Amino acid sequence: MGKTAIVKIMERAARKPVEVGQRVWCHIDLASARDFGGANCVLQFEQEMGKDAKVWDPEKVAFTFDLQAPSHSEKVSNNQKIIREFAKRQGIRHVFDVNHGIGQHVMLEAGLIKPGDVVLGTDSHMNLLGAVGAFATGVGNSDVAAAYINGINWFRVPETMKINVTGKFAKGVCMRDLLTYIVGDLGAGGMDFLAVEFTGETIDRATLAERITLCSMVTEMSGKVPIIMPNGQVLDWLVERAGREVIDRVNTLSADPNAEYCKVLNYDVTDLVPMASCPDSPDNVRPVHEIAGTVVDQVHIGSCSNGRFEDIKAAYEVLMAGGGKVNPNVRTIITPSTVETQLECARAGMIEKFLEAGIIFTNPTCALCTAEHYGALPSGDIGCSTTNRNFIGKVGKGSHTYLMSPMTAMATAVRGCITDPRDILL
Amino acid sequence: MSKLKGRAWVFGDDVDTDLIYHNKYLAETDPKAMPQYAFEYYPGMEAFAKTVKPGDFVVAGKNFGCGSSREHAVYCLQYAGIPCILAETCSRIYYRNAINNGYPVLFVKGLSEAIRTNKISNGDILEVDLAAGEITNLSNGMKFSGDGVGELENDIMKAGGLFPYLKAKAAKNAE
Repeated sequence: MGKTAIVKIMERAARKPVEVGQRVWCHIDLASARDFGGANCVLQFEQEMGKDAKVWDPEKVAFTFDLQAPSHSEKVSNNQKIIREFAKRQGIRHVFDVNHGIGQHVMLEAGLIKPGDVVLGTDSHMNLLGAVGAFATGVGNSDVAAAYINGINWFRVPETMKINVTGKFAKGVCMRDLLTYIVGDLGAGGMDFLAVEFTGETIDRATLAERITLCSMVTEMSGKVPIIMPNGQVLDWLVERAGREVIDRVNTLSADPNAEYCKVLNYDVTDLVPMASCPDSPDNVRPVHEIAGTVVDQVHIGSCSNGRFEDIKAAYEVLMAGGGKVNPNVRTIITPSTVETQLECARAGMIEKFLEAGIIFTNPTCALCTAEHYGALPSGDIGCSTTNRNFIGKVGKGSHTYLMSPMTAMATAVRGCITDPRDILL
Repeated sequence: MSKLKGRAWVFGDDVDTDLIYHNKYLAETDPKAMPQYAFEYYPGMEAFAKTVKPGDFVVAGKNFGCGSSREHAVYCLQYAGIPCILAETCSRIYYRNAINNGYPVLFVKGLSEAIRTNKISNGDILEVDLAAGEITNLSNGMKFSGDGVGELENDIMKAGGLFPYLKAKAAKNAE
């Protein structure tokens, strides 16, 4: 039998043949941490190894500030300072301060991520970097800080599930809807400890933004890492950012045609309809038309799952088709993932229209994924969001959140109640 | 290791990290300060942090600790004096974070079903033999068995966590 992509990636990282189920020590290509968890990494590393200890390779360490950007609490401000000073002492250049955006996206745009790279980060959605074939995984502070010692860490070589996607999305339906459908289908533990390769004509045609959306939610099924090897325009985009080595990586690390998978699932999106995750778990999934009419208090479009230009543009088109104004009873917030995305929105003339529509268009940050972010919900409020989790009280005790696509979110903002975007677009 | 005895605090399946340790307190960097926030957002368990005693057990169903990568969700139980996590399964990041801190996790067969059918309930007194992977519910006499962790994980646990393990490994290589 041939090898899956993850086996090839881990053989490269372990520098020896590996087998599924085996524990191996892998060389880390990038150990990143955020302003959440980052200060914990710094303090733990210095406590364990001493104030004078050096990280193994400052070029392979990165910090991103996206939990609170800019910080609005003294505690986080202090944590950010701890990181800045550590980076300075250690000669770490890759510090993406509060004026950049969401960590994974920023590092990707900066050309720091290549297919096959082993990337650690104190963000459980690190694995969205599987959208360019990286083995990126969310870990705690111990994993990152211990990797600073000599650039290695331990992993179990996972089994691989293959998800093959065919068909074209109907108008008003997008990758987020497929993903929501899959989360509902497989459940919160449906990919436990597995690697997942997404393949098929729909994936081959997908934009980077769509691939990121798809990969970001593997965490919500307890998957270890999604893998989509770059092709077409995504490959060109990545080569431009990260160099020609990307092409060699794709050639050497793509799965063999006869690779062994623990499970193969097929989805066809032709007849897919807009989907939503209902309160209070991502796998509580229903078609949007079944919950249409539910009155909502707030809509938030953004996050590492759906905060890229294409996502915001899709929402923009629904807004314009719906008359260019949001319902005055719905607080509507859009948060781009990075400054690059923010600039694209500005150049496309969208920000002006959003502001005229009554929308709050913010700087890039991690969006409403924590109750400490702006837009936290009061008890009893119903929110709609394109973020990736709606656990009980996550963005405010006593509040409840529906997760949905940017198109459904904007249709909901326009009408003031949960709305199938096809009602506006068609 | 001798047998441990303590009260059970019982939770369901898919307990996410926000329920264990809410994102509101992510800026905390001192593990010893984390227990005060444990399970604050878990409906019906708001009193956990105030009333938990060292030696009590956390008992859960499948996929315990799903969601965020925050290690706070391990520290807040470890530093509360809870000797180990008893769950049918743990989410992978939570599992790593526990192992990396030398914090024992026992994967207990049938625990999710046992919780649903009240074979283990809040306040039951459990006897746990970590080495043998055996759990007895002294309140009703029922027994459960658990699987230990893999060999490497066990070595990391025995060393006391990832830092002590790597430091010992480096010292050995230097000899």
